[in-house]
Amino acid sequence: MGKLIKWYFLAAVFLSVVWLVISEIVSLPIIPSPFLVAENLADIFMKYIAIHSLYSLMRIGAGLLLAIVVGLPLGVLMGYFARADKVLAPLVYLTYPIPKIALLPILMLLFGVGDSSKIVMIFLIIVFQVVVAVRDGIRSIPKETYYPLYSLGASFTDIFWEVLWPASLPKFITAVRVALATAISVLFFTETFGTQYGMGYFIMDAWLRVNYLEMYSGIVVLSFIGLILFSAIDIIEKQACHWQYK
Amino acid sequence: MIEINDLTVTYKSDKEQYTAIKNVTMTIPDGGTCALIGPSGCGKSTLLKAVAGLIPSFEGNVEINGAPVNPKEQTIGFMPQNYGLLPWRTVYDNIALGMKIKKSPALLDKNTIKGVMHQLGLEGLGHRYPKELSGGQQQRVALARVFALKPDILLMDEPFSALDAITREEMQDVFLKLWRKFEVSTIFVTHYVEEALYLGQKIVILSAGSGSISNVIDNPLFGVENVRGQEKFFQMGLKLREIIKKDWEQAWES
Repeated sequence: MGKLIKWYFLAAVFLSVVWLVISEIVSLPIIPSPFLVAENLADIFMKYIAIHSLYSLMRIGAGLLLAIVVGLPLGVLMGYFARADKVLAPLVYLTYPIPKIALLPILMLLFGVGDSSKIVMIFLIIVFQVVVAVRDGIRSIPKETYYPLYSLGASFTDIFWEVLWPASLPKFITAVRVALATAISVLFFTETFGTQYGMGYFIMDAWLRVNYLEMYSGIVVLSFIGLILFSAIDIIEKQACHWQYK
Repeated sequence: MIEINDLTVTYKSDKEQYTAIKNVTMTIPDGGTCALIGPSGCGKSTLLKAVAGLIPSFEGNVEINGAPVNPKEQTIGFMPQNYGLLPWRTVYDNIALGMKIKKSPALLDKNTIKGVMHQLGLEGLGHRYPKELSGGQQQRVALARVFALKPDILLMDEPFSALDAITREEMQDVFLKLWRKFEVSTIFVTHYVEEALYLGQKIVILSAGSGSISNVIDNPLFGVENVRGQEKFFQMGLKLREIIKKDWEQAWES
């Protein structure tokens, strides 16, 4: 753990140095020095930014939870029952490639401009990856794995907890990890509409007020939110799928 | 006792019907072993799966101790090719898995599991995962899993085929020792003539193509001490090979 933190710290130092060099070369207010931004961030984080970051985290969390609740059972169903896949796969394939951001106006009409449309948007981005990854994960389980359990009269519940759930968990976590980066960028975009809370709002607002220090503080916080989420996923994976790390 | 009466299994896909095994009739007495030998695609695995209750519809009868095969009623130990261990469960949990599914508190006794692990030399490996074990050790875990259940019958699909020759012979002896202790009626599929001779009281040769029994041999060498090194074991092996070869040649010609 200590070693890991060291590498994260070194990465942060490296990026700050690159940033510093660029800001020195460009020497314009639009790229302020990282020292000034850090100072500003320390000043305003608790006062202004914390509440925005909590809103953003809440939206990501809710969207993610919804995607798991819907996507996981759907993926299990499609992976395990060939007939369910026959019916559902065309639906998934037809809707998966639609750029979800294009649906934003519709979502805003259906769910209002508040939290729900933002949460549904994150849900839509993550859910497809979860469905497809879980389905493929279950499909790749060799048939032999089931036989000893079937021959003992295992119920579907047994099969789910002993085989389907542990087998699909790593794929599911990878899907969430991949989808999360997109979800954060899209969240940023949706938060520029119809809300006065969230990192998207904060950053765009600072930009419009031509307050570059605050804008950069917001970007740094957004990148930390990403870091926290990704580390959380890593920790969960290490715990839940520790058999993979042997 | 396992009784198979006029068993026919047909697979149906959208376009075609395919008969995997046809009119198979055989009986394995209580505590007997039976080797199924035949070329690839002759329906060996299908026959085994039918007895394991893994095939929902077939013609004919499969009875275990007088009752139609039913995975929920009987305890059927099935050992697939490549052991069928769950990579996400430890050795101990893999062995306990069968008992957990049977939901029998008497079976879920830690001492039973410990006892079987002791017999198979798996002590101290309980917390490991299957991929941390050698092939031979994985095979031992798979054996522990089925024997810990004290099954009514035991079915093994090419049980020792993934092992190197030396380990295979060692595992065959391990199996025989356990089998003598538990006296389980056993059917196993193999493509090694020597394995069939060493482990099978009865050797059933399935013919290529038609999916029916071509020969049943009562093996006189079964259970003879140190039989592997003896002349008659070689002779019997050659004879068996002859029979199988002749049968397959006939099958290909027709």
